Amino acid sequence: MKNGDRQLLQHEVTLLELVDRVLNKGVVLSGDITLSVADVDLVYVGLRVLLSSVATLEQQQAEIAAEAGR
Amino acid sequence: MIHVYGVVDRLADLPEVAGLDDAPLELVHVAGLDLVVSKAEPTAEISREALLRHAEVVEELMQASDAVLPAQLGRAFRDDAELEETVREQAPKLTRALQDVRGCVEFGLRAIPDEGPQDVEAASGVEYMHARLGEMHREDSLVADLHEPLARLARATTLHRRGGELNAAYLVAAEDVAEFRRAAAQVEAAPGVTVVCTGPWPPYSFAEGAR
Repeated sequence: MKNGDRQLLQHEVTLLELVDRVLNKGVVLSGDITLSVADVDLVYVGLRVLLSSVATLEQQQAEIAAEAGR
Repeated sequence: MIHVYGVVDRLADLPEVAGLDDAPLELVHVAGLDLVVSKAEPTAEISREALLRHAEVVEELMQASDAVLPAQLGRAFRDDAELEETVREQAPKLTRALQDVRGCVEFGLRAIPDEGPQDVEAASGVEYMHARLGEMHREDSLVADLHEPLARLARATTLHRRGGELNAAYLVAAEDVAEFRRAAAQVEAAPGVTVVCTGPWPPYSFAEGAR
């Protein structure tokens, strides 16, 4: 895996892990009010999808960088 | 509606960040425990902003205290009385858990074999069993090669195995963090599997107790 891929993967997995921790871990102090998750679902992409999208994202970043360099 | 961010031990000062909906953070004392909360108008949904804000507050609490038990987002209390009653009931458990995570941070591990899942929807029962056994065997190897070297450096661990993948968390004492990071870097370089270690996190995965 290339260095850029690795960094991107680390970043994406960290986000996934954050969402997992905040919503699913932590001590359950059960109040009566249960909130549902709205647009957060979008963050739940499978790791496999992440892995396959790393290449695409890297390409997009390169394009953005190239554009900014103009 | 009251949001709880966590139970804290010896919090120096309330962090300067605001809580959900930009409400100010408040310190509440119940049954000998300190909780950091904020009040908000009732809502039914958790937004992405709320999720990130909750995480940010918990992170700040970890920096500013001796220990923090992060609270799960999504369970709010109607009023002070309800909060107090619940915390009072759970006080012994919370006090123990707070003791367990003192001086520790959490690291995470995700491991996905590069070859992908085997086809367990095979035609016959025998083929299914073979596929499933192969998957279990690969999981066992991952546990031995990736999880166990890290678990040796941790006070407590959680481990989930699913479809040939591993998802683990480690409670690591501050003095062992440097060694844990070195071990994690080695594990991440393992061939044939994509491994990502994350952290340090507040001890979310051990907030219900580390035993």
